[in-house]
Amino acid sequence: MGFTASMMIASRIVMILLSLTIMVRCLRSMLRERYEPEVWAYLRTGRATLPITHWENILGRSRSADLRLDLPGVSRVHAVLSRSDRGVWTIYDIFSRGGVWVNGQRIGADGAELESGDVINLAGHNMRFQDTDQSKRERLEAARTSVGRRISPSLTLLELTVFQIFLLMQHAFSAAPEQLPDIALSFALLIILEWSCYNAMRIIGRSGFEVETLAFYLTTLGFSVAASSTPGDLYKQILLTIAAVLLFLLNGWWLRNLHRTAVMRIPIGLTALALLAVNVVFSDAVLGARNWLEFGGYSFQPSELVKVAYVYVGASTLDRLYRRRNLISFIAFSAICVVALALIGDFGTALIFFVTFLVISFMRSGSIATVFLAVAGAGMAGVMAVSVKPYIAQRFASWGHVWEDMYNTGYQQTRAMSAAASGGLFGKGAGAGWLKDIFAANTDMVFAMVCEELGLIIALCMVLAVLILAFFAVRSARQGRSSYYAIAACASMSMLLVQLSLNVFGSLDLLPFTGVTFPFVSRGGSSLIACWMMMAFIKGADTRKDASFAVRPGERMPNEEKEERA
Amino acid sequence: MKKITNRAISVLLLAILVIVGMLGYVLRYVDHGKDWALTFSRANSGSTGALIDRSGVVLASFSATENRFAEDEKTRIANYHVTGDFWDRTGSGLLTSYWKDLQGFSLLTGTTLAKDTVLKLNVDAGLNTKAYSALDGRKGAVLVVNYKTGELLSMVSSPSVDPADPDYLPQEGAYINRCLSASFVPGSVFKLITAAAAIENIPNIDERSYYCYGYTTIAGVDIICSGCHYSQTFEQALSNSCNVAFAKIAISLGQDTLASYVRQFGFLDPHELDGIPTAAGNFPLEFIGDPELGWAGIGQSTDMICPYSLLRFVSAVANDGILVEPKLINDGEEPVRSRYLETNTAQRLQKMMNYNVVNHYEGEYRFPGLKLCAKTGTAELGDGTSHAWFTGFLLDDAHPYAFVVFVEQGGGGLTVAGSLANTVLQYAIRNT
Repeated sequence: MGFTASMMIASRIVMILLSLTIMVRCLRSMLRERYEPEVWAYLRTGRATLPITHWENILGRSRSADLRLDLPGVSRVHAVLSRSDRGVWTIYDIFSRGGVWVNGQRIGADGAELESGDVINLAGHNMRFQDTDQSKRERLEAARTSVGRRISPSLTLLELTVFQIFLLMQHAFSAAPEQLPDIALSFALLIILEWSCYNAMRIIGRSGFEVETLAFYLTTLGFSVAASSTPGDLYKQILLTIAAVLLFLLNGWWLRNLHRTAVMRIPIGLTALALLAVNVVFSDAVLGARNWLEFGGYSFQPSELVKVAYVYVGASTLDRLYRRRNLISFIAFSAICVVALALIGDFGTALIFFVTFLVISFMRSGSIATVFLAVAGAGMAGVMAVSVKPYIAQRFASWGHVWEDMYNTGYQQTRAMSAAASGGLFGKGAGAGWLKDIFAANTDMVFAMVCEELGLIIALCMVLAVLILAFFAVRSARQGRSSYYAIAACASMSMLLVQLSLNVFGSLDLLPFTGVTFPFVSRGGSSLIACWMMMAFIKGADTRKDASFAVRPGERMPNEEKEERA
Repeated sequence: MKKITNRAISVLLLAILVIVGMLGYVLRYVDHGKDWALTFSRANSGSTGALIDRSGVVLASFSATENRFAEDEKTRIANYHVTGDFWDRTGSGLLTSYWKDLQGFSLLTGTTLAKDTVLKLNVDAGLNTKAYSALDGRKGAVLVVNYKTGELLSMVSSPSVDPADPDYLPQEGAYINRCLSASFVPGSVFKLITAAAAIENIPNIDERSYYCYGYTTIAGVDIICSGCHYSQTFEQALSNSCNVAFAKIAISLGQDTLASYVRQFGFLDPHELDGIPTAAGNFPLEFIGDPELGWAGIGQSTDMICPYSLLRFVSAVANDGILVEPKLINDGEEPVRSRYLETNTAQRLQKMMNYNVVNHYEGEYRFPGLKLCAKTGTAELGDGTSHAWFTGFLLDDAHPYAFVVFVEQGGGGLTVAGSLANTVLQYAIRNT
């Protein structure tokens, strides 16, 4: 065996080991490390002192209440106690039977502001509200587990960098010589980008970088796919990635202020609808789906950006959720989005929105009946869509037996499965596959392309990265400050999970082939930007000690704030 | 908050579905990965291998950079329907059905290089070349099998294609393998099936006599015979290939009985020869009435048979009722044997077919030195032309060969197909 061949095999094994370590390190850091709640204030009842660990808390007798008050006369969901960005606490009476009094004054659903030391009375039971001051909060913070002490984020990122260098080396062997400078430059810029991002976080004192590392890992695989299939477009890819990361930072910064975020829901929702309207009217049909808009040589998919907007609009703060119980405006918004996508012919994305709608409406209402109703309704709509659009019916017809029609309806899936299997566990080497020459290999069949070139293990790591992000979103949701962040993080991840399922299982004939993108990896700038922007929602829910730039640290004391205002 | 975040379980549900789906894929990959990979993934495999005939003649070989066929043009063309090609132009052929076995694959490394995989054939390339040149441009098929071992010595379909010549202009229908992939009107060779059914179902058949005036009228419909055979025994009726006698036999057997024999002998079903699918045949199964049944019993009506199905039949008759499934590939495995028809029936048919040759086909003159049992067929196509068939076997322990020779619109069974069979068999007993 020649030197080159042995180097290639060694580099493949090193890349797999690096991928696995990156996954294990992120998994341990994100899912295994201690994740204590933040403590914002206390509620002293006669018997106990209850820590208040969220910005939004339900007081009541229910087992699922955040502050459980198992006292006679207290309703299951009695009151909501919430804290604003500015540190002002407000208590709302959520249509309780026993009523809520603050310092002897009965309050209603509009709520009443609380001062530290105020006496709250729920259905005749007195308790004292006690805010934390700066020094107390600092002491509490000091007791929480720091991110990155045990599992260094810089080491994980370094591993990713080495992975990228090996990947680049593999491409150097297989790429055409004239493409090599482009490929090398774009990988170099990607490495610079991730380290700049990391250092920026260090400068502002943030130590959680796992979400970004996983996103960069997936983005790297996307670069590899682009380098194999469309090396000439790599400069576009790196520019788009820089834009995506900047928008991610911008979105995260934006999310720090809950008030601002909540207020902007309606304008963002309207913008999304306008984008879809423009799309419905002006777009050109590309293979059945008219989901592209062209601007001076650059095409973009409005539906991708609408995904981000959808999460914005769908999430909600707890007090709002309990004061206005209905979901009607959200249902209407969702219905318009799904119908618009159906009109465009982008049924895959319509399905992604629909499942995300189910997750959001279930999180908001807790009503399984609503979910069943929605599924039944959508089922009927789906049957109609299938009967109206013949090419969708055809995809359903070939689903499960693509091998019986491998020169026609099963063309892409059979190629994808064949190429994926030919890679085995270790792959044929970056750029050394044949699937890249098949139409839509770098978007719809990207899982197969990664299997073929980098092997099944790395392809599974690619899925695992998204799964880790999803599990982390769920874990963070429990410690989130506001239900807005919790819902937004969960909604983002369900969107990405559905997208991943349709992409991967569609190309492998486990689901009908819908032609949606794999998050971060598939070619397509709009999709990449949307995925990065959605990572900001995960960062918004990440309340580990000094972890996330999207979470504002060291709140100023309410008193200072008030003095300032005065 | 808790109330809301408890419901985040819906995201976990989606995550679990993804995990289940991935596990499903991995299991399917373990199960089917080889099939999937080798269907299209030739481009990333540099395997090398070859197809060689029974005496070592290379019929096709391939490497990462080159696909080759036999050096000699005649050999290439005559053996094209055995080898097929690398581009799946025929849809049959061993390069198509055995492609995956010529490539390397493992679950760990995916497609791998398989070095010098050699597929040894039972086919005799020289015999094929002889048969192809004997067909002399006519459309037709020749099949020769060793009925004791199942080795398929010859499979030739004409016209054929030169796979090594990119400018070769094939005749119409050249990509169809007439041995396997098509069915034809059988004419009188079908009388062997009617005879087999008669032996088992009509008591004292040898004591009966069948009278022929050159035609018979059944329910107002005439069935015309090729001659005027007067009084004849069952055995003489077969050697006379008497339409009148066999129409009457078919009618007395009844449509259901005759159809059940056609089905039992596998004439209605497609088979597989080393992974190459064969064509199904036809026999009227809807009620057709006596006159039409008379025609069906002598291989006309809507009867169709695939030459390969007929080869299985004569080879089982030759082997005392045990069918050894033919194989193109010599993979060292035991051939599949099965009871095809009763030993007594088979031996009775052997005698009758030998009687044909000795008493009616001028055996000594036409087939010198061959211990031949055979039956002719001249299938009228209704437009004045007819298919020429000749099928049978050698009762010769040194050369236990069964054969089917077919010339499409070739004319008379004995003169056209029979002399072609003689050429092929004479070559076969001298050279194999």
